[in-house]
Amino acid sequence: MYASTYSPFAYRPQVADVAVYGSRWCGITMMVRRHLDRAGIPYRFIDWDLHPEARDQLEWLAGGRIGSPTVTIGGQVLVQPSLRELDWALSRAGYR
Amino acid sequence: MDSHAGPLNVRPSRIEQLEADFASLAPQLSDSAERKALSVLHGMVQELWRIQVSGNARQVRSGPTIDDIVDLHEHAPPMEGDAVNTPLAAGEPAPDFALPDANGRTIRLSDYRGRRVVLAFYPLDWSPGCSRQLDLYQHELDEFRKRGAEVMGISVDSLYSHGAWAAVRGLTFPLLADFNPKGDVARRYKVWREADGFSERALYIVDENGIIRHAQVSPKLQHVPDIYDLFSALDQLATPKAA
Repeated sequence: MYASTYSPFAYRPQVADVAVYGSRWCGITMMVRRHLDRAGIPYRFIDWDLHPEARDQLEWLAGGRIGSPTVTIGGQVLVQPSLRELDWALSRAGYR
Repeated sequence: MDSHAGPLNVRPSRIEQLEADFASLAPQLSDSAERKALSVLHGMVQELWRIQVSGNARQVRSGPTIDDIVDLHEHAPPMEGDAVNTPLAAGEPAPDFALPDANGRTIRLSDYRGRRVVLAFYPLDWSPGCSRQLDLYQHELDEFRKRGAEVMGISVDSLYSHGAWAAVRGLTFPLLADFNPKGDVARRYKVWREADGFSERALYIVDENGIIRHAQVSPKLQHVPDIYDLFSALDQLATPKAA
């Protein structure tokens, strides 16, 4: 049974929320975070060494295979994206 | 998100609705093979989407490419282990050294008086953590320069390995070969791992007068030092006097 969790009258901001899950000591995670910093894109960073519970839902979304970082941009889940892939996903989500 | 929200609000896209539905169903399913299979299928859809839209689908080709060489570290054996050394203390003079870079030029620390230097000791060229760490520093060269700092990498690899590695990764800052006597500079900086034959992953910030102002050894070999902490350590040094 399909049941949307959204009200048909609900609206969203023009751009999607960005969240970066990973370890502070991970080189790829730092590269992704700094890329977002430079682009001026707000994001939440979730240190999964401090919040291991955050991994459960990510594993559900990513088929059980996640790596640091896993980036969520609206409905997109990117596991260890390249900066090019990150830019693609951001543009799809409404960021220029 | 306000700074990026435009004047218009738009309805959630269909894919976002579906994603939200998928996410909300997770707590309703008990652990089972079926739940795992659904999760795996969702992960596959995400990967297909990612490959198609980013144009990263692998092309059929006959041999390795430069990109394959660049990405070697992604499939290389892991480098792991606890730190076994304590670095020299802040406030001590940084031991001087003269080491060749990838171009065969001799780089002396004492030639950098008047400038700050970030000495990045790393275990080995081509290895997983080191590739990512030095890629990160290459991206941040402007940030280091803004803080009056030069970055140098140091490992026991030969200058020829440094040259090849820097070329494929696009690294433009000096990589110094602590090759002969092997690890001599790492030993003098107290970051040598005798049992492994390479150094710790360690950072030193040396000030304009050749004094160590910050020193750290990563608690685990695979841990890349936090770049935000490194910027903060540089920011906490007094502003250099204008020349």
